[in-house]
Amino acid sequence: MTATREQAAAGQAVPEQRRHVMQVRKRSGDTEPVDVNKIVRAVERWVADLDEVDPLRVATKTISGLYDGATTAELDKLSIQTAAELIGEEPQYSKLAARLLAAFVDKEVRGQGVASFSQSIAYAHGLGLIGDATAAFVAGNARKLDDAVDPDGDLRFEYFGLRTVADRYLLRHPETRLVVETPQYWLLRVACGLSQTPGEAIDFYRLMSSLAYLPSSPTLFNSGTRHTQMSSCFLVDSPRDELDSIYERYHQVAKLSKFSGGIGISWSRVRGRGALIRGTNGRSNGIVPFLKTLDAGVAAVNQGGRRKGAACVYLEPWHPDVEEFLELRDNTGEESRRTHNLNLANWIPDEFMRRVEADEEWSLIDPSDAPELPDLFGEAFDEAYRAAEKKAVRTVRARDLYGRMMRTLAQTGNGWMTFKDASNRLSNQTGAPGNTIHLSNLCTEILEVNDDTETAVCNLGSINLGAHVTADGVDWEKLRATVRTAVVFLDRVIDINYYPSAQAAASNPRWRPVGLGLMGLQDAFFTLRLPFDSAPARELSTRVQEEIFLTALETSAGLAERFGPHPAYAETRAAKGELHPDLWGVEPAQTERWAALRATVAAHGLRNSLLVAIAPTATIASIAGCYECIEPQVSNLFKRETMSGEFLQINTYLVRELKSRGLWTPAVREQIKRAEGSVQGIAELPADVRDLFRTAWELPQRALIDLAAARAPFVDQSQSLNLFMSAPTIGKLSSMYLHAWKSGLKTTYYLRSRPATRIQQATVAVAPALKPVVAVSDAEALACSLENPESCEACQ
Amino acid sequence: MTTIPEARTGADTGERRHLLLDPGMDLTLRPMRYPHFFDRFKDAIKNTWTVEEVDLHSDLPDLARLSPAERHLVSRLVAFFATGDTIVANNLVLNLYQHVNSPEGRLYLSRQLFEEAVHVQFYLNLLDTYVPDERERFEAFAAVENIPSIARKAEFCFRWIDSIFELRELRTREDRRAFLLNLICFAACIEGLFFYGAFAYVYFLRSRGVLHGLASGTNWVFRDESMHMAFAFDVVETVRAEEPDLFDADMERQVREMLAEAVECEVQFAEDLLEQGVSGMSLADMREYLQHVADRRLAVLGIEPMYGSRNPFAFMELQDVQELSNFFERRVSAYQVGVTGSVSFDDDF
Repeated sequence: MTATREQAAAGQAVPEQRRHVMQVRKRSGDTEPVDVNKIVRAVERWVADLDEVDPLRVATKTISGLYDGATTAELDKLSIQTAAELIGEEPQYSKLAARLLAAFVDKEVRGQGVASFSQSIAYAHGLGLIGDATAAFVAGNARKLDDAVDPDGDLRFEYFGLRTVADRYLLRHPETRLVVETPQYWLLRVACGLSQTPGEAIDFYRLMSSLAYLPSSPTLFNSGTRHTQMSSCFLVDSPRDELDSIYERYHQVAKLSKFSGGIGISWSRVRGRGALIRGTNGRSNGIVPFLKTLDAGVAAVNQGGRRKGAACVYLEPWHPDVEEFLELRDNTGEESRRTHNLNLANWIPDEFMRRVEADEEWSLIDPSDAPELPDLFGEAFDEAYRAAEKKAVRTVRARDLYGRMMRTLAQTGNGWMTFKDASNRLSNQTGAPGNTIHLSNLCTEILEVNDDTETAVCNLGSINLGAHVTADGVDWEKLRATVRTAVVFLDRVIDINYYPSAQAAASNPRWRPVGLGLMGLQDAFFTLRLPFDSAPARELSTRVQEEIFLTALETSAGLAERFGPHPAYAETRAAKGELHPDLWGVEPAQTERWAALRATVAAHGLRNSLLVAIAPTATIASIAGCYECIEPQVSNLFKRETMSGEFLQINTYLVRELKSRGLWTPAVREQIKRAEGSVQGIAELPADVRDLFRTAWELPQRALIDLAAARAPFVDQSQSLNLFMSAPTIGKLSSMYLHAWKSGLKTTYYLRSRPATRIQQATVAVAPALKPVVAVSDAEALACSLENPESCEACQ
Repeated sequence: MTTIPEARTGADTGERRHLLLDPGMDLTLRPMRYPHFFDRFKDAIKNTWTVEEVDLHSDLPDLARLSPAERHLVSRLVAFFATGDTIVANNLVLNLYQHVNSPEGRLYLSRQLFEEAVHVQFYLNLLDTYVPDERERFEAFAAVENIPSIARKAEFCFRWIDSIFELRELRTREDRRAFLLNLICFAACIEGLFFYGAFAYVYFLRSRGVLHGLASGTNWVFRDESMHMAFAFDVVETVRAEEPDLFDADMERQVREMLAEAVECEVQFAEDLLEQGVSGMSLADMREYLQHVADRRLAVLGIEPMYGSRNPFAFMELQDVQELSNFFERRVSAYQVGVTGSVSFDDDF
């Protein structure tokens, strides 16, 4: 042993940078001493309305992380990072960090000689980034548009949102990689890309800048640019059961993926392992090797440098390879039969669920023996399936296969349960024979008909419900106004959109579907102090959904009056007078408005075959600074990981509550952290407050399903419904998904679970293990371990 | 010098209570004497991951963007990783496995050995990906010989492996204390400090938005290492309960000296890594962090802190809270491998 305590102490005395007068290098190349006061002044500019922020603390902490000879740009970045690191202690630092970042971005843009919105567009057009039409539109209305830029717009951002915008959404110079637009220029550019008049552009810009509504990421990325692919979702029908068709699909998927689309693709028509191939008199290797190729193809396509492609494969459970399909995401076994980049979903007919419930046999049938099955649903499917059973490859116990599905969900979160019959029966698009929905999309909220020659397309946007609610309740007029603007601009995308494949271009103008969703439901519940599983919460969510859907239909009927119904209107159920709530057999609350709507639809039709879909909103919810779509909070304290780095997120509603009770102390913070974001152990909080701030892991999942089922009559596509279970068992899962099916839900999304054990917490105080150690039981280990559910972005 | 009688193999007949460190190769799983070890074994299995799940491709463009100072940091760091886990695995096989005389404890150690092997494979894959030049790659793998700051850490490890290498059986009080020191050294100093130091650099880089592939693999390694450490401390506490007299002021002094040396080893490693100046990670902060971690290790062992340092790295705080990531951007690491039960329709959910 060489080192002693004295030596250790001596080590501390080694001179460090801290003791020197540290120098920074300015952009001009000169050096100057680091000046705390200068940093303090830079911070003070932004804290007028942030009374809890301590500028000196940010300044000294920034300097402690600095090294001698750092550049001023590094100093600026470090001060942003430093402010961001204090968010866990005081959420106001999030605003400060966002403002310092906005100032940094602003400096970068101005440094390239850009002083106004119109100059930024002209500059970016010259660099080949902006489309000609948008450039001309802006040049022709420069004065009006420049004046519309809200100088205080950036003050509304939280840090995580603005960081995401700055790193991923703002256009960059192709060579220098410097950003060429500020956040407000970006939103105005998105608006101009979809507008015909400056007034319209300014209205839409103001709506987005207020963060009350945001279109989905592909629109935010690409509107106004030279590549106007603005749709989020593509639903590709299964390849036909032949090699040429399979390879055509790879090509199509690659093209769709390239421009930021998320892809759903069915594989139910392709024959299974062991089936005869007449051309060569050989036997098929089944679908797995083909999916392996798809997996590699998806990973290879980089979406504009922003992210890898993503796809979800759908398979019906009568396919003979279904068991191998369910193993595609396992992390053990033969790598040549694993697809780590593909998501998986089961496309389940009611007949399967009935046999699971009745504990009967289930036949696996090769599609080459029953090619009609993918195109049938309801009774027609049931009959055809039963007739085909005599050609079954083999039979299994339905419950065994269902149990296998549950295991896959628990082990991988994948293998989503989506229901073919409800999806088709309760759709406006399946009004004419031969029109079938064959699958959902990457995030299970889009349900649209497609076939070999038509790839369904959907473009999305989401209302930030939190921005339409005060403690007094929902601002219904504001909500209606937002829906009207949103539908007009979602509809507009259809005509301006660039379609990466001929099949997509064939479908979208005919059906003109859009997907208007919402986010921030949890914010609304917090503001109104409604526990997520309470009856008033369910009632509110249903009324909000009815308002959104009804207003969206009214707007679409109005568009039909001006521009005519969408070309496939005659094939829809609406054309027969059946609107979506009718299919569910529910009586809406706003009877008079529905009656008036029926009359308008009867007279003019609808401009859009589908209007509402609730997408996961992962990224745009961060930009808007609200909770994701219809989800409960996952934790009161969690981190977000993205390509831009990691960010601490804290429930600001809870912080406000704790502050008002004098409980926002380091001890309580540590307690929340130790409990991994739960407040259930904080005895000083009354029971009703603890109830309000339960996390997704602490809520009964039945409530989530019931909330979704109650709003479903006003969602004509579907909802990305995640379910949460920290310690899933096959028994719990099978009960839960049976309930989801019986509730009539069309689709479910991820099963979120938590790892069995976790990383030792590095920053909470150690609890010394002085008594003989009692082993932690499985249940306890699970209860105290959380990690990283992920969510989708193409659908936002 | 007290000599402790040899324990019987097989079932305990009750003449003398069989102790965990008694020499022998106990084979009896029932009745199970240390069920908490068995539970740890089962938990560890649920955390199975494979190297193929870690996507390193996105790191390559990041590497190209790093400043020379950051690149230096990364190259030193991966050089340390190249051999770190192999050293731990060697100590496990050469020293720990033979002396922890409990079949369920050995089950856990077998599992740990597998995990160390996966880590070795992960870092092998990492270096093959990060260092395309073959000569550079060979140099990185030979870091324990040619990079002084890594050699010093390796020398520390080897000295502790050697400290009980000659011991075939733990017969005397001194033997057992020597064993405990070895165990504590690998848990508190090597896995608990050297690796924790290394993880801090990785998470620092991730907090700056770079090298997510490395970070996601590290997350899994970190999770495993946390369990290894917890098991080792579990063994220490079990022995403390069985043979409290092994623990005294002298032992405490030795543990403190060992940790102090480990901190110094890691600080001189940090001097090397940060020598060109990395914005956001100063040497002073790194030293404080290491001292803070050392104090935490002491706290687990019930020993007063030596430094009283606080954690200066807010990004490490991020390691303690639940993640929420976006599947377009990275893969999940949260799912479980072992799931039990059968289909039923009336379970609560």
